[in-house]
Amino acid sequence: MQTANSSSIVDLEKVGVQYEGGVQALENISLQVYQRDIVGIIGPNGAGKSTLLSVVLGLVKPTTGEARLFGKPISSDGLRRVGYVPQKAQPRDINFPSTVYETVLMGRVPKAGLFHRLGKQDHQKVKEVLEQLELFDLKDRRIGLLSGGQSQRVFLAKALVSDPELLLLDEPTSGVDAHSRKEFYDVLGRLNQESGVTLILSSHDIGIVTTLAKRVVCINRTLFFCGDTSEFTSSSILAKTYDYPIEVVRHHDHA
Amino acid sequence: MIIRSKWCGITTTLETFFTLLSAGFIQRAFIIGTIIAVLSSILSVFVVLKRVSLIGDGLAHTAFGGLALGYYLSSLGYFSIALGNYLDVFPIWVAAVVVVLGSIGITKAIRSAKVAGDAAVALFLQLGLAFGIVLLSLSRGFGINLESLLFGSILLVTSNQIILASAILAITLGLIFVFFKELVYTTFDEVQARAAGVETSFFDYLISVLAGIVVIASIPIVGVLLVSALLVLPAVTSVQVSRSFKQTMILSPVFGIISVIIGLPMSIILDTASGATIVLTGLGIFLAVLGAKRLTKSTVKLAP
Repeated sequence: MQTANSSSIVDLEKVGVQYEGGVQALENISLQVYQRDIVGIIGPNGAGKSTLLSVVLGLVKPTTGEARLFGKPISSDGLRRVGYVPQKAQPRDINFPSTVYETVLMGRVPKAGLFHRLGKQDHQKVKEVLEQLELFDLKDRRIGLLSGGQSQRVFLAKALVSDPELLLLDEPTSGVDAHSRKEFYDVLGRLNQESGVTLILSSHDIGIVTTLAKRVVCINRTLFFCGDTSEFTSSSILAKTYDYPIEVVRHHDHA
Repeated sequence: MIIRSKWCGITTTLETFFTLLSAGFIQRAFIIGTIIAVLSSILSVFVVLKRVSLIGDGLAHTAFGGLALGYYLSSLGYFSIALGNYLDVFPIWVAAVVVVLGSIGITKAIRSAKVAGDAAVALFLQLGLAFGIVLLSLSRGFGINLESLLFGSILLVTSNQIILASAILAITLGLIFVFFKELVYTTFDEVQARAAGVETSFFDYLISVLAGIVVIASIPIVGVLLVSALLVLPAVTSVQVSRSFKQTMILSPVFGIISVIIGLPMSIILDTASGATIVLTGLGIFLAVLGAKRLTKSTVKLAP
């Protein structure tokens, strides 16, 4: 436990995050994610789920403890192997003049690297993923005009075109109808099974997370539970996470 | 003299206008107008979509402070002797340095999140303006044409200014071409780009430094007060009608160039300030595009 396991993809060691103004978003979180894992992060709103993902993405620096990605401190090299689907799978500016195709192509930018123009290979990959996610017919549509479910798939496609080894999804299905949600999780399941992509997804939608996730991490500022999904569903931990301010109940080490 | 011939009736005006077109200073005005239009309208796409539209205003007033500092320094006896022949271009170089520093400062302030972005821009704007006015009053009597500084004087453009503007155009387009995909991603969503491993801070600074340089190059054309219009209008107009980012990038300079090609002759015919007329033309095009969009939309709705 003391030294970083080389086979772990994400390794958080007693990570704490305190925002300016003194708000403690995370406290003493230790967590390892291994290859081919599907980890569901569960917790109430404001529990620090997004902050936890931000730490892994290098967007938020831990104030205490250490975060490692692919066995190394988080850097842009490591981040190029990670795909990220943000909570609001929407352009920051809804009127941003970008087509579905152009948006997904942006996912290839880090992979191509500085001073290299996007080439045939990049366009080929984009077409492939668009077909795979049934987005090809929408490729010339401006992204601001898509439905919630379509927009979700576009941002997943954007994350996937870089062939990520790790995929992070922040509340991936909020604001998406039930049918699209099911389809979306099916795609994720196949990615994990067929391409061996490691998944970390946060949600307050416990039902869907537990059907997909192999492991569940329960947080509310601190870590309440970390274990197999079956253990999680049979335990009473859920009620405790949401209702009682208790210390760490259980923390499994995964070798 | 000739320009004021509008009193002689419209035919004479047009005749004089065509005679004027062959005049060197008019040709230079068209050339530099087009260069500045291309330069600012391409950059405007990034500035507007990054939602830092007012950065041009902040930088223009910072440039005003810089120019004033340049004039003040050249009014000091020691400098005026040391500079010799370079005395008349000295203020613009001082301003260039000040603007580049200012653009870095503004971006730093915006990124720090301790000051709201619009407040950061406002602070630089006011600082530049106040400093400029104080310094200009200190160097009073040095023969500064405040009016041409504030409103531009496109008809007084020299060949050297055209060469300088062309060089700036080439460098800016080169940089945008080389870093195009990163610039687009950073503009699209800075946080997502950063999370994907793009060094977004560099590109944030690049955009605002380029904006600063464009501002410096544009001040002789439209003046301090209206420079930022060139950094906003073309993109705002093209976003209205573009389906893609590519289209926006192509249409923006088209709108920019049209504003100059219509606005500049109009200003000559009507004997109005060129910069302001060009900006008003750009605004007219924007409104026309907006109106046309409305019309086509309502006809689509009416169709069964």
